[in-house]
Amino acid sequence: MSPDIDGERVLRPLHNTTKGHFALLVVFGLAALWLLVAWVYQLRGGMMTVTNLGDWGTAGGVPWGLYIGAFVWWIGIAHGGIAISAAVTVFKIERFRPIARIAEVLTVFALGMAAANIVFSLGRPDRIFNTIVQWPLTVYHSPLAWDIAVITLYLVLSLTYITLSLRDEIYALRPRLPWWLGPIYSVILLGYRPAESEKVEQITWWLAVAILALVPLLSGGVVPWLFGLIAAQPGWFGAAAGPSMLVESLTSAMAFVIIVVAAFRYAYGWEDMIEEAILVDLSKVLALLVLATIWFVIHDVLTGLYLAPAHIDVITETMLTLPFFWLAIGGLLVSFTYLAATVLRPDWFSIPVLVVVSGVVAISILNKKVMFIVEGLMHPSVPPLTNLYPAGEYFPNWVEWSLVLGSIVLVGLGFVIVSKIIPMIELEDAGELVDEPRSSRTDGDSSPDVAADGGVLSGGKLNGSAADTERQPVNSAISDPVDTTGRGVAESDTVGLDSDSATTEEDR
Amino acid sequence: MSTDGDETTARQDESVPGHDEGPEPDGEGVDPGMPDLGYTWTTGDLDDDWETRARQKLETVDFDTELGVELSRDAMALAQGELSRETFNEKHHADVHEEFGVDERPTREVGAVTYESSADAQRASTSESDEPLPGVPTSSGRTFPSRRGLLKSMGAAGAASVTAGLAGCMDGLADTGPERGEAGDVQFGMAIDTDRCIACMLCAEACKRENDTDAGTHWMHVFRYEEDEYGEVEEGYMPRPCQHCSEPSCTYVCPTQARFKRNDDGLVLTDYDTCIGCKYCEVACPYGVNSLSKDEPTDISPGFTGSETDRHGNTVGGTPPEGIMGKCTFCVHRQDDSAQRGTTACEEECPVDAIHFGDMNDPDSKPRQYLRENRQEARFKLLDEIGNEPNIVYLGDEPSKDADPIDGPYTYEDLGMERPAEDGADEVVADGTDDSNAGGEGS
Repeated sequence: MSPDIDGERVLRPLHNTTKGHFALLVVFGLAALWLLVAWVYQLRGGMMTVTNLGDWGTAGGVPWGLYIGAFVWWIGIAHGGIAISAAVTVFKIERFRPIARIAEVLTVFALGMAAANIVFSLGRPDRIFNTIVQWPLTVYHSPLAWDIAVITLYLVLSLTYITLSLRDEIYALRPRLPWWLGPIYSVILLGYRPAESEKVEQITWWLAVAILALVPLLSGGVVPWLFGLIAAQPGWFGAAAGPSMLVESLTSAMAFVIIVVAAFRYAYGWEDMIEEAILVDLSKVLALLVLATIWFVIHDVLTGLYLAPAHIDVITETMLTLPFFWLAIGGLLVSFTYLAATVLRPDWFSIPVLVVVSGVVAISILNKKVMFIVEGLMHPSVPPLTNLYPAGEYFPNWVEWSLVLGSIVLVGLGFVIVSKIIPMIELEDAGELVDEPRSSRTDGDSSPDVAADGGVLSGGKLNGSAADTERQPVNSAISDPVDTTGRGVAESDTVGLDSDSATTEEDR
Repeated sequence: MSTDGDETTARQDESVPGHDEGPEPDGEGVDPGMPDLGYTWTTGDLDDDWETRARQKLETVDFDTELGVELSRDAMALAQGELSRETFNEKHHADVHEEFGVDERPTREVGAVTYESSADAQRASTSESDEPLPGVPTSSGRTFPSRRGLLKSMGAAGAASVTAGLAGCMDGLADTGPERGEAGDVQFGMAIDTDRCIACMLCAEACKRENDTDAGTHWMHVFRYEEDEYGEVEEGYMPRPCQHCSEPSCTYVCPTQARFKRNDDGLVLTDYDTCIGCKYCEVACPYGVNSLSKDEPTDISPGFTGSETDRHGNTVGGTPPEGIMGKCTFCVHRQDDSAQRGTTACEEECPVDAIHFGDMNDPDSKPRQYLRENRQEARFKLLDEIGNEPNIVYLGDEPSKDADPIDGPYTYEDLGMERPAEDGADEVVADGTDDSNAGGEGS
């Protein structure tokens, strides 16, 4: 399909690990440890004691803050991956295929981090299973129960989707994959038969449609309902809350996809496979989404100031005095200016600048989400209680920052690890990367438990023992080096698990 | 001008009998200028005495006396529901216009709500029989579905779209909302007289002693505020316990059914064994009565001595464990103790008898009696328009939207309610990270 995808180079990261990669692993690992420390500290000290969260009634605090803001943010980011992947699968936009897998993995991680931030926000996270146990009863009245349902569904569907789309590839590539990850591949290939490919393709198509339908249901529906159905907080109430939240979500999602794709492209030297044109396209979509976000902000401010009911008026006016609001707006405006300028002057387009701008957009949206949560709670309820209670004050402290920034680090860590397990670019013609021609594979009906014998696909050459599969990738790579990039010098060096690769970062 | 005056008087008079059982014989507190005609009076009962008095009053103003008398008579008919607002306005439109040069009262039906007389609304709610409170303006007479019903159907719709048909199998469960216990006809509530309150904070202190609540957490909070009334500054005080609503929004949003309404006596409680501390109830409550437990009791409490489990075995009493949501329980441990049933710590302690606790469905209960005895006083339910149907009835004037909070005459600090107990505060105080929790006073 995508003729310029070089399978050898896609597989290389599974076997070669650079110093840079290890360094990243250590840095992310340490940061993740810090997250753990902060979380344990919060669990031991008690959420209301060690964080800057408080009770809005008499104490003038804000009960929901950075955690819930980050939760909404991650939910939004999760849409980016699946939107792109669905565009490839459902609408057959082949040009985005090289980034589809990266995007799908981002969806799964982002959903996980959304759930994690909810857990951070609980006073008693050890009891979270109560929500599952009680779900059949609470689903009739609690928007939080709807939320749990939709997020779980979203997670299950996207995990199923990504697993199904991997099976053919993993099956075909099994001899070329690291032997010591065998158990993971066995799980992915559980019950695999080559004959399933056609069915799986149909299933993934429908799954993509279903997941695509969930996007507006989650970020345009259930999540805004979580807030908007609560009349007690005027700042969360509004008919446009759903659409505006959906647009903000897609904006941050697109920004995140750009950042992750650019990172992979740079780290593995995939500039030729993930063409600049893809990023140019994404940047145009991002420009449009940023513009839409700004447009919704204007709606919000205008309706909140012009003869609005007193309590809405207070909230909007306060928002306009917060430096954070102007930081967010400034970030969005600057980003839009740059993105729009590159449309008019294509030679201004630069990927490093695009990544920076995407970062600014993503942070601005996080900022805005947190403000959305906090601002209403600072001036809660309706008159006369609005002014009888002290106005809330809130700024996240180090525990909250550690956990939320930690969730970003965890996504990085996840990518660092997962890029060593599965090929991060879809390989449609995976079979050609294995020595033996496709026809030599045994029929699908040979054994339902193919997972156990990865050796089957290499024909009679191997018996399928672990020791043999271990050597297989090495052998094949050496005996049949595919060298289309002029990096053949490094090729022989880089084969093997632990040698330093001279090909990627060092090249620059 | 005179029409307005008469109409107001008429409505006030009408609201006196309210919908307590039968006419009330005692007319105390009723404007002596108005006849006490009982509940079933009609404008036909207005005697010559009334007309004489009306004429005497009207002759002191410059406008047409005859028109004034007619307008008052019809205004009372309007209040009694004998006349529609539309007819009333039409009937005198020409005369009023002639006399006053202007009549801006709408004369054509534009919306049923505008024209519904207070008498109609009150009768409607009487006939519904679930509105026990005389003379309290309420939104329960409305015809659209209650929030509870709406939420249930929304939840079912959500389930249907998510789990495709699973909801159908569970339809039978839709009625078991966040409620526990057998259905009963008791609904505990309070009548709180804000005119009597002196903001001595003894109720808040008693609550803390009784329930062992955290430092800085006030299950019973006393709002203290100033009102600027045409240049004259007046202080107002309003104690605020949990409102133990009939439509408690906190129970609907709870994702674990931990927050529930106890059907036997209408208490809204938290099951300390299942709450996960998500704080959704806190943000969903318009009254700000919830606070997540830090487990830092104050010096003034000897510790919780009541029963933590209620009569059904749910852990709901006293201050909750750390990380669990807490709020006023109407002293549930007392309600489940035969010797103390029907009392609360705040009510007992109040030196000016401003708090009256009891069954709002029982006409002979303390709050109902108090409301009856003080029927001439203005009354309100806090944030009634939100629709939670609170069960606290306040006597006195509702604070305005411009009420300005003040600190006096006593502060919680004065009374030692912000200071954690010596032994329970070790790491927290030493750490100093919770400063911003306590200090969020400014605006």
